[in-house]
Amino acid sequence: MAADIAAAAEASPPDDSVAEVLAQPSPLAAFWAAFRENKGAVFGLTVFGLVLLLALTAHVVAPYSPVVQFREAVRAPPVWEAGGSWRFVLGTDGDGHDMLSRLIYGSRVSLFIGFSVMSVSFVIGAILGLLAAMTGPVVDVAVTRLMDLIMAVPSLVLAILVVAVLGPSLANTIVAVTIVYLPRYVRLVRASALGELNKDYVTAARVAGVGPLRLAWSTVLPNCLAPLIVMAALGVSDAILEAAGLGFLGLGAQPPTPEWGSMLADSREFIRSDPWIVTLPGLAILVTVIAINLTGDGLRDALDPKMRRS
Amino acid sequence: MLIYFVRRVALTVPTFLALMFLTFVAIRLVPGDPVEVRVGEHGMSPERLAFFRHELGLDQPVWKQFFDYVWKLMHGDFGVSLATQQKVLSEFFTLFPATLELAFFAMLFAVAVGVPAGAIAAVKRGSLFDQALMTVSLFGYSMPIFWWGLLLIMFVSVRLGLLPVSGRIDLINYYFDQPTGFMTVDALMSGQPGAFIDALRHLVLPAIVLGTVPLGVIARMTRSSMLEVLSEDYVRTARAKGLPPSRVIGVHALRNALLPVVTVIGLSVSGLMAGAVLTETIFSWPGVGKWLIESIGRRDYPALQGGVMLVSAVVISVNLLVDLIYGAIDPRIRHGR
Repeated sequence: MAADIAAAAEASPPDDSVAEVLAQPSPLAAFWAAFRENKGAVFGLTVFGLVLLLALTAHVVAPYSPVVQFREAVRAPPVWEAGGSWRFVLGTDGDGHDMLSRLIYGSRVSLFIGFSVMSVSFVIGAILGLLAAMTGPVVDVAVTRLMDLIMAVPSLVLAILVVAVLGPSLANTIVAVTIVYLPRYVRLVRASALGELNKDYVTAARVAGVGPLRLAWSTVLPNCLAPLIVMAALGVSDAILEAAGLGFLGLGAQPPTPEWGSMLADSREFIRSDPWIVTLPGLAILVTVIAINLTGDGLRDALDPKMRRS
Repeated sequence: MLIYFVRRVALTVPTFLALMFLTFVAIRLVPGDPVEVRVGEHGMSPERLAFFRHELGLDQPVWKQFFDYVWKLMHGDFGVSLATQQKVLSEFFTLFPATLELAFFAMLFAVAVGVPAGAIAAVKRGSLFDQALMTVSLFGYSMPIFWWGLLLIMFVSVRLGLLPVSGRIDLINYYFDQPTGFMTVDALMSGQPGAFIDALRHLVLPAIVLGTVPLGVIARMTRSSMLEVLSEDYVRTARAKGLPPSRVIGVHALRNALLPVVTVIGLSVSGLMAGAVLTETIFSWPGVGKWLIESIGRRDYPALQGGVMLVSAVVISVNLLVDLIYGAIDPRIRHGR
């Protein structure tokens, strides 16, 4: 029907305006129109896009390698301070690494952690949540109790325990932070799946003979996606913060990996003499996290009109 | 009512059991010889190894080891710290008041600033103040607090010299008994002039750092909850009755808007504990969080195991308490389950 009208409209150009009125906007266009209303979200998405671009092109954009040490220029000040030079725009750290290069490469590390944690917990969370909601009380209780347990241990304390057992590394940071954030996804999927399961269209699908896997995957899950996507977006920034905290405690990515949190840990001794070594990595974390949070808020407003009311 | 209480308390039993299982398994997964890991000594002779294996019960079947572990925990035996040779439980109780004091003042800061600011922002919706507060709140809950702490130390303590850099009290000028472990209380009881002020001065920066994330969350929460309440009929009725705006907002609206805020405060205990690890590390605050981190550095696994267990037990208990209080206040919660 809609296709017919669109085809007819194409055939007769003067009727463009009619077709525009009649044609449903594509879901993406409708989403973008709603997202664009929130100026903060657009700003956040722009900043986030820039950080992502820096991360993807770090090997091109960064002036130096993040691990090469300039022994002759240890703790060189940034260009705007007395004694600074354009050679090291943001100065160098205590080991003579170029700060700018480390910050740019650091975006790669942080975004990698953030997105790994998000995608792994998204997938496992969806599977466990659907299992809990759809397979009966035994699995439900087991999964729910396990998630309650994980949530009972304070996030960083649990991450510390995991890292203490597995040893500190970038990969184990991802494992630890994923375990910490998994319960949120499981609970959200379980709750929204339980809500959907009572609805008529699910009953209709069941009556039509749809098998359990197909029911879970293509009937229930798509209808739980909106809140899940919002949570995943905000989950990226939480994961980045958590991983940076672990890095700061010396339990995350190990030197010389240019991780923003561990850069801060090394900087503490220079707090009196060379403040830029302290200021810059934290600023990078803050800007990235704010950008993602603004984007996430915009996503929520656009995807979930019910929650827009405040 | 009683049924709800009993059921809610009973629900924590499996959680506690699972927690014991988790810490039990975690320490067994630490790479290296289990005896060496637990005795903290490397390259032992086979006889010595066998002696400790028997001493620690590692020659027993695994299920029996777990049962022994649970049995000991129930009797308050959390093991002995490798680093200090003190009981983990007594070490925890020596350090916990410092963490509790810090967390209390952090929450005080977050509530004292966040609730009024959020309420004002809601009343003056769209104003400059509202926009400014929402920006501050966004910064608050996006803040890497370890960096925030370093910045504050850098500007307030080092550059301006206004507040101390670390610790709980100036140990050179003030020395007194600490019967309660809460420095502010002990300082007051000591009767030394200035000691209380000094303890407070040491608390300001750590409390601000730990309270920053809750402040962001509480301000935002108060604002949205207040906005919702302000459009309710009973607020309109109160206005129509001719009550002064201060009374409508302060009594009719705010009191009802605070319920969800109280929930957030109750649920933030876990977050406070996690934040305390970072805050205590930055400010050399001798609390439980710093102790856990140091235990990892020293490979003091019994302390780590007991510490994680005890911190989590505190969180579970507080969450239980919050739930019970809700059950008592709000009948809908009792009957909902």
